[in-house]
Amino acid sequence: MDILIYGTINSVTLALYAIGFAMVYGVSRLPNFAHGALYVVSGFITWSFLNSLGLNYLLSIILALIATAIIGALIYQFVLIRVRGMEISEIIASYAIGLAILEGFRWGGFKGLTYTLPAFIEGSVEIAGVSVDYQRLLVVGIGAAVVGLLWLFTRYTRIGLAMRGMAQDERAALMLGIDSDLIAVVAMGFGSMLAGLAAVLLLPLGNIVVEAGYNILILAIAVCIVGGLGSWMGAVLAAFLIGFAQILTVVYLGAHYQMVVALLAIILTLILRPSGLFGQQKELEERV
Amino acid sequence: MLEATGLMVFYENMLALNNISIRCGVNQIIGVFGANSAGKSTLMYTLSGIMQDIQKKEAMAGGERITLMGEVRYMGEDISGLKPSQRARKGIVLCPERRRIFNESSVLENLKIGGYLASSSEARNTLEYVFKIFPPLARLKKRIGGFLSGGEQQMLAIGRALMAQPKILLLDEPLMGLSPLMQAELILATKGICEEMKLSVIITEQYARPVLPIVDYAYILENGSAVMEGSKQELMDNPDVRSAYFGIEESYE
Repeated sequence: MDILIYGTINSVTLALYAIGFAMVYGVSRLPNFAHGALYVVSGFITWSFLNSLGLNYLLSIILALIATAIIGALIYQFVLIRVRGMEISEIIASYAIGLAILEGFRWGGFKGLTYTLPAFIEGSVEIAGVSVDYQRLLVVGIGAAVVGLLWLFTRYTRIGLAMRGMAQDERAALMLGIDSDLIAVVAMGFGSMLAGLAAVLLLPLGNIVVEAGYNILILAIAVCIVGGLGSWMGAVLAAFLIGFAQILTVVYLGAHYQMVVALLAIILTLILRPSGLFGQQKELEERV
Repeated sequence: MLEATGLMVFYENMLALNNISIRCGVNQIIGVFGANSAGKSTLMYTLSGIMQDIQKKEAMAGGERITLMGEVRYMGEDISGLKPSQRARKGIVLCPERRRIFNESSVLENLKIGGYLASSSEARNTLEYVFKIFPPLARLKKRIGGFLSGGEQQMLAIGRALMAQPKILLLDEPLMGLSPLMQAELILATKGICEEMKLSVIITEQYARPVLPIVDYAYILENGSAVMEGSKQELMDNPDVRSAYFGIEESYE
């Protein structure tokens, strides 16, 4: 029973890590390697608003999410837009930005155990004999809501539909008057905000540390590769696969093997099914 | 309405369009005919601004060097420097070669994505109109775009372009790969759309015969150059055109 409950929590956590990355990649084919850095940035901004400026917790979170979205959009608008379409340069540029941000934080002295965010609601509840704290329940609830809202957003709003169009065929979208640069900025802002949302939900469970940025990036990439790059629903499914695999590993093999699972999943996927569970080999389009 | 003068396009050193000038009046149907690699699609891309986008991206990635020259005027205004999305907003919408529908989206979603520029009432009216002129689309609303037949996909591509509220519709080889029956149906529909929605249409095709009856004026491209132009009747009467583009051999008795 605890495998089921902790597996679900872990899976939703992974889905939250990955969904912003999957979204940015899906819409503009941009592997945003600064994703982990944006996660940490969001945590620190929330912490600063909360402790240095003494704002209300909810207000700090909302402001931090907006700030993260703006930072993401600025990164795109001023750096990544210049290397659009060149995969290697995109990776190098975005990873360099992420590195600069994370190591900048370390240099600036943001490390150690002093930086924590409080839980939204303290306390825990017992489900089928397993004790689960409210924060983790909230993670599952909000995680599910985010996935659902994102699904609705991409199917029933103008911007969301434009994103879907651009994800499938950017040039065809251009012909219909969809400004691909604008949509890419919006997607990047949204993706960053989702990284921030994951941060404010999950950081209360631990400390805000710079290393989290790297771990989350690896986990997000693992989930996206297994699910198929560019497929959001694939990413969600892969999050559950890897999430449960991790918990099973912890229970039967030991906690220190946990990180191996995600990396092994990347390797296995690339060997057995390089396009991932739901990805498409875009190169194999109709041949005439 | 749309007037292009002296269009030249080079891919590296290869000349793809050589000093092409074409014009399209209000509510006219203009035909552009030519064989493969005559420059039809390049012309359409240049008119809709996609070529500028390709040029920009190639330059950024250090790929092919594309050189563009010439001027495109729309309603008297020089639009040569505008992005494709800005041109679409002005009403120049391209329905591309090979259709390029969104394969993973349903028919309805394809049309909704096409309605990005439309207000919600415009989108509703156009959707109704598209379903009226192309009844198969209404029946296949939920079908995923990639699973449609070629003819249905072409209907969808045209419908999607109409959703963007065009004033001038660029149809790039809409008849490619379709059965003669479907070709006739689509040409009839195009004529109807032009009249009912008060559109201008520029239509390219390799084979002129099915299209010529509805065009007001036509150009013939060969290796990037316009070798001939004229009204429907002038082209029909020209013996070279008859043999090359209609498959009608003159008999020498």
